[in-house]
Amino acid sequence: MNKLLPLFFLAISFADFNEKQNQFIARQGQISFFSYTNVENIEAKNNQVLSILDIEKQEIAISMLMRAFVFKKDLMYEHFNESYIESDIYPKANFEGKIIDFDVNTKEPQTKIIRGKITIHGITKEIDIKTTIKNNNGNYNLTGEFNLIVNDFEIKIPPILSSNIAKTIAIQFNFKYEPYEE
Amino acid sequence: MLFLLILIGVVYFSNPFLNSSNKNLENELAELSLNAGELVNSYSNNEDKSNYLYTGKILEVTGTIKEITFLNDRITIILNSNFETFGVICDINPNQKRKIDQLKEHQKIKVKGICKGFLKDVILLNCTIDLPTNE
Repeated sequence: MNKLLPLFFLAISFADFNEKQNQFIARQGQISFFSYTNVENIEAKNNQVLSILDIEKQEIAISMLMRAFVFKKDLMYEHFNESYIESDIYPKANFEGKIIDFDVNTKEPQTKIIRGKITIHGITKEIDIKTTIKNNNGNYNLTGEFNLIVNDFEIKIPPILSSNIAKTIAIQFNFKYEPYEE
Repeated sequence: MLFLLILIGVVYFSNPFLNSSNKNLENELAELSLNAGELVNSYSNNEDKSNYLYTGKILEVTGTIKEITFLNDRITIILNSNFETFGVICDINPNQKRKIDQLKEHQKIKVKGICKGFLKDVILLNCTIDLPTNE
């Protein structure tokens, strides 16, 4: 038994090591959104989006601070955080999902669907997001774009400003992952 | 009346303080001064309380450089905390570019930026760098 014990621990530590190799992190993920109307175009970018990708479970988790979106004008930033998103109450937006049929080993770019739940302004919606995955020697890069409907997230826009803000917001994302060592 | 409108227009479009992305913090006073370890500890112990204390404020944070990155054409300095995996992510104002060459890993620096909150790291935006004078 005493002879087996070190072997046992070795096996555990090895399994543990493998577990960690399956996780990848992006601390500086990029998310931009665009609202195009006849009155004005609004664009904002967040460069500090956090994401963890687990290639064994094929799961992805994303979290971002709403106040970290940068706008061209202060007034847009204020309206977004104070009136629409209410960042004091809902400081973050989150997403959790699974990449369907993700081929971890291929070096070719692959286009897959991420099926998951997105939470903005305290409202959670199911969503399918198309993404292009590139594997650069184990450093994964996920990019894509999708649309969200403002009304789905109970965001109240005063009638006087409703012509300034699009009903559908276009979102772009770009995550560059590196191995996650905890 | 027309003159007034034009004047307002000129002020609105030319005033740099209405332009959030490039607001210069160099000449603004920090509301609080603390070190990177304290800041990260505070957020990981009690995020709600720390949001109340720090989020939205101009902070002056002292710490050692873990990493400098240029991802997505941005200058980012990550400061060490007492934790192995997370620290303070400082998004550096492009006008600080010339100071970057003088920095190296493990160096102790002071940054001033607007605290946006906490994910795994504390996030500071629009940071200026305060280089220590030679002692």
